Amino acid sequence: MFGIQDPGIWSAYLLMIVCLLFSIWFGIRTWNKEDKNDEQENEQSTDPKNEES
Amino acid sequence: MSTLTLGIIVIIYMFVLAWLGYLGYRRTKDQSDYLLGGRKVNPIIMALSYGATFISASAIVGFGGVAATFGMGIQWLCLLNMFMGVVVAFIFFGRRTRRLGARHNARTFPQLLGLHYESKTIKVFIATVIFIGMPLYAAVVMKGGAVFIEQMFGMDLHVALLIFTLIVAGYVITGGIKGVLYTDALQAIIMFACMLFLLFWFYHIMGFGFSEGNRQLGEISTLVPDKFKALGHQGWTMMPASGSQQWFTLVTSLILGVGIGCLAQPQLVVRFMMVESTKQLNRGVLIGCVFLIITVGTIYHVGALSNLYFLKTEGVVASDAIKDMDKIIPLFIHKVTPDWFSAVFMLCILSASMSTLSAQFHTMGASFGADVFSKLGRKKDPNSSMGVRTGVLLAIILSYAICYMLSDGIIARGTSLFMGVCAATFLPAYFCSLYWKKTSKEAALASLWVGLLASLFAMLFLHKAEAAPIGLCNLLTGHDTLIDTFPWFAIDPILFALPLSVITIIVGTLAKPRKEIEKDH
Repeated sequence: MFGIQDPGIWSAYLLMIVCLLFSIWFGIRTWNKEDKNDEQENEQSTDPKNEES
Repeated sequence: MSTLTLGIIVIIYMFVLAWLGYLGYRRTKDQSDYLLGGRKVNPIIMALSYGATFISASAIVGFGGVAATFGMGIQWLCLLNMFMGVVVAFIFFGRRTRRLGARHNARTFPQLLGLHYESKTIKVFIATVIFIGMPLYAAVVMKGGAVFIEQMFGMDLHVALLIFTLIVAGYVITGGIKGVLYTDALQAIIMFACMLFLLFWFYHIMGFGFSEGNRQLGEISTLVPDKFKALGHQGWTMMPASGSQQWFTLVTSLILGVGIGCLAQPQLVVRFMMVESTKQLNRGVLIGCVFLIITVGTIYHVGALSNLYFLKTEGVVASDAIKDMDKIIPLFIHKVTPDWFSAVFMLCILSASMSTLSAQFHTMGASFGADVFSKLGRKKDPNSSMGVRTGVLLAIILSYAICYMLSDGIIARGTSLFMGVCAATFLPAYFCSLYWKKTSKEAALASLWVGLLASLFAMLFLHKAEAAPIGLCNLLTGHDTLIDTFPWFAIDPILFALPLSVITIIVGTLAKPRKEIEKDH
C-alpha cells in the first residue's frame, strides 16, 4: 500500500489518514454544538468565592 | 541569500513579534488575563498555539534528521502526536479539564489539581517540579535556537543566545499569555505554510508521485550503512528489526515516551482552560490534526525521502552525505529549495523554537508567581500580575544559566527527561481528577511522589541515554547503568515509572477512597 511493503510502516500512514478524516468529521459535526454544562460552569468561574488565594 | 537580506527579513519578523507582544500587553488587565487570557481566547488561536507549542525546532530539525537516517518508522510518532496529542487530549482530557478549571476557577495546572484534591501540598509539589524541571527542557530549546542563529549569521554563540533569550523574554514578560498566544498563532502559520510548500516543491523537483517515491526508497534498502544495520535498520520504508536497539529507541523512547508524555504537559493542559466553551475545543480537534499532519508528517516523510535526493545529486544516502544527524534537514532544505525559501525556512525554525520557549517561560513563571508564591506582589492589588512576571524573569535567568552550567550531553536529553517526568508524575493524578472521583488527595500525592522518584531513579541508574552523561551511577558503581544487559538499559524510564505511579494511585484509592464525593463530573 502507498508503494510501501512493510505493514508496520504503511499502517502508520493509513492510521494518520483515518485520524485526519475523523478530526475533519468531528470538527465539522460539532463546530457549533453547544454543551449544556458550559454556561453553569462558566458562571461559577467568575464567582469571587472561587478565587484562588 | 546575502546576510543583509536575511537580516532584513529577521528584523521585520522581530518587529511583528514585538507588535503582537504589545497587543497582548494592551489587552491584559489583570492576573486572569495574564495567565489564561480571561478564558475567552479565540479557538483558532488556541489550537494554533497548542500546535506551535507542541512542535519545537527539535521536532523539525532533530526528528527530521532521525527520519532521514532511520526511515519512515518515525511516522508512528506523528500518528501518536495527532491521536494522543490532539484527538485524545482535546476530546477526553480537554473538555473535562476546561469544565473542572472553570468550576474551581483554576488558572494553572498545579492549581487545577491542587483545588480538585483540596490540597495545597499537591499544588506546591507540581509547581515545584515544573519550576525545577522545566528549565532543563527550556535550555534545550534556547540552545537549539541560538545554535541555529549562530550558523545562519555566523554570529558568536553567546551573543546569539543572549539575543534570542531577550526577544522571547520581552514579549512573554510584557504580553503575558495573550502575547504568547498571538505570537504562537503567527509562528504556527509560518510553520504550516513552510511545510506545505516544502512538500509540494520536493515532489515537483523529484518528478515522482507519492507511491512511486516510496517504492524507490524501498528499493535502496541495500544502501543502509553497516553501522545502522547493526542497530536493526532494515531500510527506510521498513520498521527496525523487532527487539533491536533501534526498535527499543523508536518504540519506547520516541513513540511511547513522547506520544504519551504529551498528555500531561502543563504548558499544553493549561490551553484547554483558556477557551469559553466545549464547542471551541471541538473546533481545535480539526485545526490541531490538520496542523500536525502537515508540519510533522511532512518533515518526517520528506526527511526519509531526502535519501533519494542525496543519492541522485551526491551518489550517497543522507547519513553518508552529512554525518551530523541534526544538520541533515537544514542542509537538505538549503540544497533542494529556492534561495528565498531558505530564509523563510529559517523563520520556520525560529518560530518553532520561540513558540515552545515562550510557553515554557510562561508556565514556569505561573508556577512560581501564582502557585508557590501566590501572594507575591498582590498585597496592594489582588489582580496584579507582578508575581508571575517576576517568576517568568527568574525562569528565564535559570534556563539561561543552565545553558552554561550543564554539559551538552545532559542538555540534549532535556526534552525526553522532562516529558518522561511529567507523564509518570502528573498523568495518573491528572487522569483521576477528571475520571475517578473517589481518588483521594493522599492517593494522588503518593502517586506524584512515586512517579517522580521512579522517573529520577530510572534516569540516573537504568536508562543509559541519561545515566551515562549524568554519570552518577558510574561514580557510585563504576558502571554506566545498574543493569548492563540489553534491552534493559535501552528501555525508556516512562515504562518503569508510569506503571508504578498508576498502581500507586489505584491501590491508594481502593485502600482509602475520598470521603466527600462532589457532584458528578
